[in-house]
Amino acid sequence: MVRKIRKTAVIGAGVMGGGIAAHLASAGIKTLLLDIVPLDLDEKKKNDHGERNKLVSSGFEAVLKSRPPLLMDRNDAELITLGNLEDDFEKLAECDWIVEVVIERLGVKQDLFRRIEKVRKSDAIISTNTSGLTLRDLSGGLSKEFKQYFLGTHFFNPVRYMRLLEIISGEETLPEVIEFVCDFGERILGKGIVLAKDTPNFIGNRIGVQQIIMAMQLMHEKGLSVSEVDSLFGPVLGRPKTALFKTCDLVGLDTLAHVATNTYELVKNDEQKDTFKLPVFINKMIEKKLLGNKTGAGFYRSEWIEGQRVSKVIDLNNFKYQKVRETQFECLTKAGNADTLPEKIKAVVYGKDKGARFAWRVVATSLIYAASRIPEIADSIVEIDNAMKWGYNFQLGPFETWDAIGVEKSVNKMEQEGFSVPDKVHKMLQDGSRSFYKTENGKILFYDFDTNNYKEQKVSESIISIAALKAMDKTVKTCKSASLVDLGDNVFCCEFHTKMNAINKEIVDFLEESLDFTDKNGAGLVIGNQTAISPGAFSAGGDLRLMGDMARQKNFDDIEQFIKNAQGVMQKSRYAAFPVVAAPYGLTLGGGCEICLGAADKMVAHAELYMGLVEIGVGLLPAGGGCLNLWKKFIRHVPEPVQGLDFAKFFAPVFRNIAMAKVSSSAVHARSLGFLGPEDRIVFNIDYLIGEAKKEVLRMVDAGYSPPVKRALKVFGDAAQGVIHMELNNMLAAGYISEYDEFLAKRIGYVISGGEMRVDGEIDEEIILKLEREAFVDFWKEPKTQARVEHMLKTGKPLRN
Amino acid sequence: MREAYIVTSVRTPGCKMGKGAFKDTRPEDLLTFILNTAIEKTPNLSKKDVDDIMVGCCFPEAEQGLNIGRIVGQMAGFPVEVPGATINRFCSSGLEAICQAALRVMAGWAEITIGGGVESMSMVPMGGNMPRPHPEYTRTHPELYIAMGVTAENVAKKYEIPRQAQDEFAFHSHMKAAEARRKNLFTELIPTPAVRYVLSDNDTYKKETFIQDFDDGIREETSLDALAKLKSAFSVKGTVTAGNSSQTTDGAAASVIVSETKVKELDLKPIAKLKSYALVGCRPEEMGVGPKYAIPKLLKLAGLGISDIGVFEINEAFASQALYCVKALDIDIKKVNIHGGAIALGHPLGCTGAKLCSTLLANMIQTGSKYGIESMCIGGGMGAAALFELCE
Repeated sequence: MVRKIRKTAVIGAGVMGGGIAAHLASAGIKTLLLDIVPLDLDEKKKNDHGERNKLVSSGFEAVLKSRPPLLMDRNDAELITLGNLEDDFEKLAECDWIVEVVIERLGVKQDLFRRIEKVRKSDAIISTNTSGLTLRDLSGGLSKEFKQYFLGTHFFNPVRYMRLLEIISGEETLPEVIEFVCDFGERILGKGIVLAKDTPNFIGNRIGVQQIIMAMQLMHEKGLSVSEVDSLFGPVLGRPKTALFKTCDLVGLDTLAHVATNTYELVKNDEQKDTFKLPVFINKMIEKKLLGNKTGAGFYRSEWIEGQRVSKVIDLNNFKYQKVRETQFECLTKAGNADTLPEKIKAVVYGKDKGARFAWRVVATSLIYAASRIPEIADSIVEIDNAMKWGYNFQLGPFETWDAIGVEKSVNKMEQEGFSVPDKVHKMLQDGSRSFYKTENGKILFYDFDTNNYKEQKVSESIISIAALKAMDKTVKTCKSASLVDLGDNVFCCEFHTKMNAINKEIVDFLEESLDFTDKNGAGLVIGNQTAISPGAFSAGGDLRLMGDMARQKNFDDIEQFIKNAQGVMQKSRYAAFPVVAAPYGLTLGGGCEICLGAADKMVAHAELYMGLVEIGVGLLPAGGGCLNLWKKFIRHVPEPVQGLDFAKFFAPVFRNIAMAKVSSSAVHARSLGFLGPEDRIVFNIDYLIGEAKKEVLRMVDAGYSPPVKRALKVFGDAAQGVIHMELNNMLAAGYISEYDEFLAKRIGYVISGGEMRVDGEIDEEIILKLEREAFVDFWKEPKTQARVEHMLKTGKPLRN
Repeated sequence: MREAYIVTSVRTPGCKMGKGAFKDTRPEDLLTFILNTAIEKTPNLSKKDVDDIMVGCCFPEAEQGLNIGRIVGQMAGFPVEVPGATINRFCSSGLEAICQAALRVMAGWAEITIGGGVESMSMVPMGGNMPRPHPEYTRTHPELYIAMGVTAENVAKKYEIPRQAQDEFAFHSHMKAAEARRKNLFTELIPTPAVRYVLSDNDTYKKETFIQDFDDGIREETSLDALAKLKSAFSVKGTVTAGNSSQTTDGAAASVIVSETKVKELDLKPIAKLKSYALVGCRPEEMGVGPKYAIPKLLKLAGLGISDIGVFEINEAFASQALYCVKALDIDIKKVNIHGGAIALGHPLGCTGAKLCSTLLANMIQTGSKYGIESMCIGGGMGAAALFELCE
């Protein structure tokens, strides 16, 4: 039997349930979303279908209104059907997977499972999204058959954006069921799977909340302020910008308190049990309804002062809000000067000032806590590290952090200061093992406390790690900005590794070398890279600083040469004798987008794709073939016998994408904007991206790849000018664009339409490239473009001048 | 010159573009129906007696292209000898067609003509399917092709017509129209067959005909509050909204014009005489002011004053421009669009001039007004106005 998920049900349409249903729908799965009939219906309303579905409908409305959106494509909302637990319960019999996400009350959940037991298909999988109750209690009294198909699937909020999915096996759950859900969650839903044990709050929240509450207790003791703690526990330690307290505001203090209290009550034998005790100020804040973002104020509050949004932070002594002040810890200055994340972390935890001493205490306690929880909550360090990376957006998990600061050095310091370091860590060091992870023969190994030895980390066959390949000496060529890595089977990967993977001259030159190398030695090329940061950037665009410098020095010939060279490499790649596949994900803007459109035969894109040609924001236009190739992308699939088409209908969206700098909010959206075409694929799991791109190359090779033939290109011609002038005049008059926007957009339209050419005329595509170049150089000569670029480099935000 | 008598003047309901009752009804069918009705309602008139059919259409292409004036004559069963033409002057096309048809009678070149108008905005979008403004001319004069909403903003701004006044004007348009509908005062409106596609018993779609007997854009339940909440539709910080602009609409209308000789010969009872017609250009970016110049020019031609006119139909392209023209000409607002205007009843572009003629004549009869004026602004920067005199 090959198990299939034809239809799922999500029971409970709250924030989590709605999020899960939306994500299932985004993955193309039909989903039945159910909630209870409101309890307070009067006689008249009792028979009203709408009233009976009121709770589920309002949950669904919240999904549709969510910002950032939980659905990748609004059209997928059609895949979700709504119902209530009385009238539509029988429909559960059609579902292959039923996810329970109702209120965290044992009795309620048990009753529900007993009802489900009666209607479920004999092989339907039932899972609970409980965070605090145990599977053992939940499934008590249910049949063996039910228990065999029953497991925990713990998603994190917001479901679309948080990668972690903790999977918890019950005592009797069939191994094939666990295996199936792991694969489904990873491949179809794109989640990072962590196998957790049936213990309170599983892995992510057990480790995460312990650290948060412990840090809160300690900050009080050490006299640190909220913003001081956040300055230490953010990006400088490889953690998200929301650091500690802004994360609490996001989650909601009530939810946090619930998890902490629940854990405190259940973990009887936990040596750090008291670190789950809520500090008094949390309870006071909950009383005052300062729950975080959901009530508009928590540890932080935004205020509008003279039309400007000002973030204020709470003073825990009097619960009043004050302006956030820059914190001045020496360790932060030192970390700021450090190049790599491990060095930054070391600067903080080994620093001497008050902030550093606090950070050290919290980090050390947390590392020890994590080590002490094995094997209680997880089999190995890998699960804990992954849970923290995927569930809390940490760049490094606890054990990776421990490696980063030096296990031996930190353990010595802990010992000196009276921390009780677990024996298993001592044992590891005594055996001469100096780190939790190491690479050997190119494989990543982790230290296994169970066997006191290193073990290979098991990952799905579809996952290719560029870092691991590089550790295996699979780097064919490299330079400061990019590397060429051997993916095996004669497929190579050109990887960028500049800041935000911005495209510079070195990358352009390196891409050409990679093409030459592949032409000689390879079957095909993947253009792709990987990151630990979510959502990350395939490439945030061209390196503005480089060209900005040239413009300031009036080296416009150099700019033209640079862009001509870039166009040449794009064309060379496009017409190469072997297949080229781009693997974009996350931010894929400007030059990054142009590479995908222009250099590759097709894209294998991650579902979270923020793609666009945004050059106009800095007063430029896509001149690395972006105008040419987006136009080609739009008209490429028109069959030859279709004649006399109104090219305005094709021209308008291409022009709008570029002149209005449209950026997709997902890969599906990129497809509806026309950046992705029918030949391009969307992959849900980001770790699969390079592997799937490689498979795509091999498929094209197998199918007998022949490069595209360069033919004359149909363009809209100068009829486009009239249309553009008319539309831009309206937009200018209405105040939607500035005069400079109009100036830029007119020229962009001129380029896309092929310049001075009869309507629907045919031209050599090199002409559009020439027009791109000319416009690009002319734009750089404009003071307003230079001002836009300068502003972007300084502030990271576009200037409207 | 001879006199031109309008003996019959009828219209279909105006129905909302894209979602109204006529969204699936071909413009030829609307027009065919209304031409036949005009003939039927004119005693003793047979189709072969008609010298020409002139049809106003704003975007005469696609479903309403290929010279719909001739096509529809044949579809309606006129003998092949009866010719037909399509007339275009954007929003005054329908009036232009009536005036040209009348002028032929006045010149003695014809005895009986039909002037009318049609527009299916559902089927042919405003601006047409394939707009191609001139590439070089637009570089210096893009305003010749300016969006109508932007011109309404320009008028509101330049002549200081505040948002509240526009919303009040819009509100009254709906209220007057709602009352007229309730009291069955739209005597010129003919219940019209319309088409819809329905899923039939055998699970395929079939065309079904039904009768539409009311203007479906009237919002009886609207309020000043509701109108005040709407966002500006055409500009970042504008005052012109979807609520105080005319509705985009489908519809058709026709009038039968007859010489004095034929009135007598066929023993007809004429409604009114078309006395004169004036046109004037203005700046394209404030095209809405057109009536302000066209109406005085018309009155001068006729030797009349504003106070001589009993009722006005001034097209409500936008509240801002309609209100401005009424105020600038010092017209008694109680005489203007007494049963509501295009904000409630819709502005089916090329049909509007013909539609307003039938409405104006009905209102002249109801109020017993000797003189009535129809006027409108025109895209590209023009104004048109026509004077009608009620027959005793």
